[in-house]
Amino acid sequence: MKAISSDFAPPLKLISPFFSYGVVFYLLSMLALLFFEPTFSYAQMNVAGWIHLFLLGFVMMIIFGAMAQLIPVVLEAGHAVVDVYYVIFPLLLVGASLMVFGFWLMPAILPYGGLLVLVAMIIFAVENIATLKKTTIRTLTIDTVAWSNGYLLLGILTGFAIALGLSGNFGINVSLMLKAHVYAVIGGYVVLTIMGLSLILIPMFSLAHGFEETAINRAFKLVITGVGIVFAGALFTQEWFMYIGYAVNMLGIFFYIWQIYIIAKLTVRKEMDIWAKSMIFAFGALILSIVLGLVYFMSGKESILHASVWFLLLGFISSMITGHLYKIVPFLVWFERFAPLVGKEKVPMLHEMYSKEGASMMFWFTASGVVLGGLGLLFENGILFKGGASFLFAGAIFLFVTMRKMLAYGK
Amino acid sequence: MCSITKEAVFDAISTVIDPEVGFNLVEMGLIYDAIIDEDCNVHVIMTLSTQGCPLHQMITTWVKEAVERIEDVGEVEVEVVWEPAWNISMAHDNVKQALGGM
Repeated sequence: MKAISSDFAPPLKLISPFFSYGVVFYLLSMLALLFFEPTFSYAQMNVAGWIHLFLLGFVMMIIFGAMAQLIPVVLEAGHAVVDVYYVIFPLLLVGASLMVFGFWLMPAILPYGGLLVLVAMIIFAVENIATLKKTTIRTLTIDTVAWSNGYLLLGILTGFAIALGLSGNFGINVSLMLKAHVYAVIGGYVVLTIMGLSLILIPMFSLAHGFEETAINRAFKLVITGVGIVFAGALFTQEWFMYIGYAVNMLGIFFYIWQIYIIAKLTVRKEMDIWAKSMIFAFGALILSIVLGLVYFMSGKESILHASVWFLLLGFISSMITGHLYKIVPFLVWFERFAPLVGKEKVPMLHEMYSKEGASMMFWFTASGVVLGGLGLLFENGILFKGGASFLFAGAIFLFVTMRKMLAYGK
Repeated sequence: MCSITKEAVFDAISTVIDPEVGFNLVEMGLIYDAIIDEDCNVHVIMTLSTQGCPLHQMITTWVKEAVERIEDVGEVEVEVVWEPAWNISMAHDNVKQALGGM
């Protein structure tokens, strides 16, 4: 393995806006939850608005920032053109904001927001693919990065077609295209990316070594295939085909969880810091989401599907991201501001760069909010759901404050 | 004849701390060997706790700089190896205890 040159690392000023504004979008999406009821339909425009606020504003924004830093680590090659991230950020920021505003108040502006997001994601995907071509190593993780970027492009193209359809500019079957869009973006991009990154980051932070990777290899292949099957089934209105895809995806996720279990058994670092707690909660929520998903397929009860999606988005994806922020952001700040001082003066340790109390409050409020909100959705109980939303909002305030302090540390 | 000892090299490297874990590289068991020739040129053989560590290059630079601070040292070369792979049994007891491995 070659050395990871510090020249490959993008500067903090390029990446930090993705983290700063991603957390602002998270805060806003938790605030918005206070105005929702536990009974809703995914076809409601305000629900689509919230999904985009959360997924585009928070999840994608943070993933893009993290990928800017981690792609060179995974590929052992510098970015093809790292400066494009200066363009991707404002396009994604304005595009996501316009889309949320469009869904909530003015559908006519959806295509404009959609176009900006489309351009941002095409630039991101093309830059990633150009960087992939520079690498000399070939692993399944790298193939997965390529596949996830392909699905991202498919997802955003179908999303743009939906935006045109909703604004009345394009005659398409919106509900059909919606399934293809959701699976390509969430399953094909977000889940595959999280699986790939967690395979790198979880052993790195837990100091786990020498584990077998057969399970994750199967997981990657199954999820890549499963998402493709669901996408094709949705596009060609073949529901039976989609069910095969769901089953293949489910099997893929089972192998992913199995791989994490193998890594967890070999974990050297046992301390329960904010990252470790977040990982345990995230995987607990993922298992719960799968169980609820299976129950939904047997019962067909809509509230169970809502709870399953809730635990997937806010329990698993959100906790994976927020937990990793307390590792990645201190590292980026340390790398920029303190690494040059090593050997010359005393420098802080990474864990000293954030408030442990603040991070702990973030975790407990968020975890309680996820559980309460999920129960509220499951039993269609407004009080439980609003209680959960309030806890999540309180947790988001702690995340926002601790993140600001981390980014300003040593400035 | 060179008067620099292996212990002096390890002492110098023990000033280099992994900022994530909070222990120095010698305590972590990451420094496998230090070969010193007659002209006081030093060849450090080390590993890292994780392949693909973003600090890979910086850590090896810090090790080189730490050894170069030893008086009368010649050329310093740092080689990173992955065999044998690092594991917690190579770390000092205080590290094992702090990380929860004991």
